[in-house]
Amino acid sequence: MNSVHNVNFFIKLAFAFALMAIAWFLPDWRSSVPLAVATVALLAIFRVPGIRAYFKGAGLLVLLVMASWIANLMIQGETFVAAVETALAMAARLVTTTAVFFFVMETSTPGSILAASSAARLPPIATLVLSLTFGVIPMLRHDFERIADAQRARGMEIDDVSFPMRLRFALARGVPLLIQAVRMAHAISLSLSIYGFDLSRKRTTWREVGLLVEHRLPGIETP
Amino acid sequence: MLALKNITVSHGEEPVLAGANLDLSAGERLLVCGAAGSAKSTLLNVASGLIPRLVTPSHFAGEATLTGKPLSAMSKDTLFAEIGLVMQSVEEQSWDLGVEDLIAFPMENRSMPKAEIRVRVDALLKQFRLDALRGRRVLTLSGGERRMVAIAAAMALSPRLLILDEPTTGLDPAARQRLTEALADTLDSKRAVLVAEQDPAAFHSVAGTVRFISKGQVSEARSFETLMNEERPWREAGILPPHRTASSPKASAPGAEILGVRDVTTVLCRAHGQPVLNGAELMVRAGEVLGLIGRNGAGKTTLFQSILGLARISRGKITIEGIDATGWTVARRARRIAYLPQNMRRILFNMTLAEEVLFAITAGADPGEADRNRAQACLEKYGLGGLSETNPFALSVRQQALLGLACADAAGAAVAILDEPLLGRDLNGRAMLDLFIHSMTDKGRAVMLISHDLELIEEVATRTLILADGRIAFDGDSSEAWQSAAFRALGWPAPSFLPEGLVA
Repeated sequence: MNSVHNVNFFIKLAFAFALMAIAWFLPDWRSSVPLAVATVALLAIFRVPGIRAYFKGAGLLVLLVMASWIANLMIQGETFVAAVETALAMAARLVTTTAVFFFVMETSTPGSILAASSAARLPPIATLVLSLTFGVIPMLRHDFERIADAQRARGMEIDDVSFPMRLRFALARGVPLLIQAVRMAHAISLSLSIYGFDLSRKRTTWREVGLLVEHRLPGIETP
Repeated sequence: MLALKNITVSHGEEPVLAGANLDLSAGERLLVCGAAGSAKSTLLNVASGLIPRLVTPSHFAGEATLTGKPLSAMSKDTLFAEIGLVMQSVEEQSWDLGVEDLIAFPMENRSMPKAEIRVRVDALLKQFRLDALRGRRVLTLSGGERRMVAIAAAMALSPRLLILDEPTTGLDPAARQRLTEALADTLDSKRAVLVAEQDPAAFHSVAGTVRFISKGQVSEARSFETLMNEERPWREAGILPPHRTASSPKASAPGAEILGVRDVTTVLCRAHGQPVLNGAELMVRAGEVLGLIGRNGAGKTTLFQSILGLARISRGKITIEGIDATGWTVARRARRIAYLPQNMRRILFNMTLAEEVLFAITAGADPGEADRNRAQACLEKYGLGGLSETNPFALSVRQQALLGLACADAAGAAVAILDEPLLGRDLNGRAMLDLFIHSMTDKGRAVMLISHDLELIEEVATRTLILADGRIAFDGDSSEAWQSAAFRALGWPAPSFLPEGLVA
């Protein structure tokens, strides 16, 4: 964990929206591709967890966007070069958008989001939606990896096989992941109930919240 | 304070509680003991108001009251401020929060002022000696650490009634002691504690009374002190007595080495930079039953992960059946080393029990008729024959543990690693565990048992290893382990049926 993890969630969110807006307003690939590259580089610089998985997903996204847009535009009469330029710009915008929100998700824990929302005196429903939306996705990603490890640990060969076979095994993780997601939802719901979460009452937080959100309670000296 | 009258609960056709009664006075510390599957958790869930309020059974009847008020008439907010609850599976009530977040959660949700919350969280962290966990995320903690944090969270509002379901599961003896000391410090004549446990000895210093649960009924309360030296009531309830004579069904002379861990140092490091495993060295021989003990967070999980290739190592090597396993995939190693975690849900992913066992046999290849027959035979061996088409996630925790044994047995792996098996304290479960161990060792295979249950280690392990400071600090006969310097350094009491003179 580095200091960027402690930056207030809302500052990161505002930064993400701003960067996304810039990406979509840039006119062509000449500006949108460098922005996408810079955004992705930020992920590496800040050593965002799960970056390898993101790169794989982003690579697949770029391939799909490029292929579908080039085919579509050429069918509509565009030249190959013009179609490539348009597809490249679109792929770059999508990469910038996904990368910056991936950054927000992976560097914000549900606890820090709850704290930032509670300190901002947001209604409890908004607090809950924000922490679940941004907090649960990394948890599901961890579960996806854990299920893969479980399959390996049971003897399923998912590493030393062809790419299509890997893809098939990855899809097969869908059922246990779904079960795990249901269990997680149940655990969160139970936790909210027994720990007294109430939609009609605004929460407080133990953390000091400003531009940064405190992540560790220092020991308090007792007289 | 708490009164349960004529409680009947069914999750299917047959009631698991059939007209059960229980009362608990202020200041009372009651231990409820019973075999796995005897409905201890259901009873506690009724006592906490979870059933039928948040978990709806197929049938519920009876009345549960706290200080005369029906639990059903209390607001959820009041109910869970008056009652602190820690469930058997802590994962069921926690999510990806920080340690401080989870402890502060009940107070934050009730809009307590920040300064007050900080003081209370700090006090609980100190009281439960959890200072080292400040700033950590709950999901990154070991099972025992996570449980202690959940118990601290349950104490946050100083509840009138504290309900703990199998609280010592996954706790090392020192953590158990910390838990009972913290409970003893906190509880006064106005508060009561209701604990369900299969390991009653751990609560000897805290609990005053014991009730047994069996066949849907709860017995009358009896003095714990009187029961401590009796065997019959515990056995009748289906659990091992806290004080008993040790049985030592040791295996014959070990055979050739089948697993070797040579000078293994992990890439994974602790916060202060030291590798979690730092020159760990051990071997497992055919026919052996190894017991591995160590503090919570000592690196026991990392050790098996290194053996399976799930944790990267920076130095050393793993040999399996005499062959250097460097470069082997995890799956290839796992076909020779079966791993059974305490929470079997972590490694189940097929749709039926039969498919799970078939997968263990074929590792995903198409099964033949002989494989199907073998899978069914294995399920029957562990009492699961009638459930072969059931979804594994629909099983109880105990049944999932038995499924794990069936899978490991069917897989024919050279070594089975059992991480904190939940079957050790229940008579039937223990019989199944013994069956599994004999089944493995009779075929020249081996078992590595990772556990904090020192009595279990003493009774079944032919050799004991102590993991400390990233390496194996003791490797030898179990009876010598309790007198070793490495064991003394842990500061744990020796297994309770040993003569007094051997206590470390």
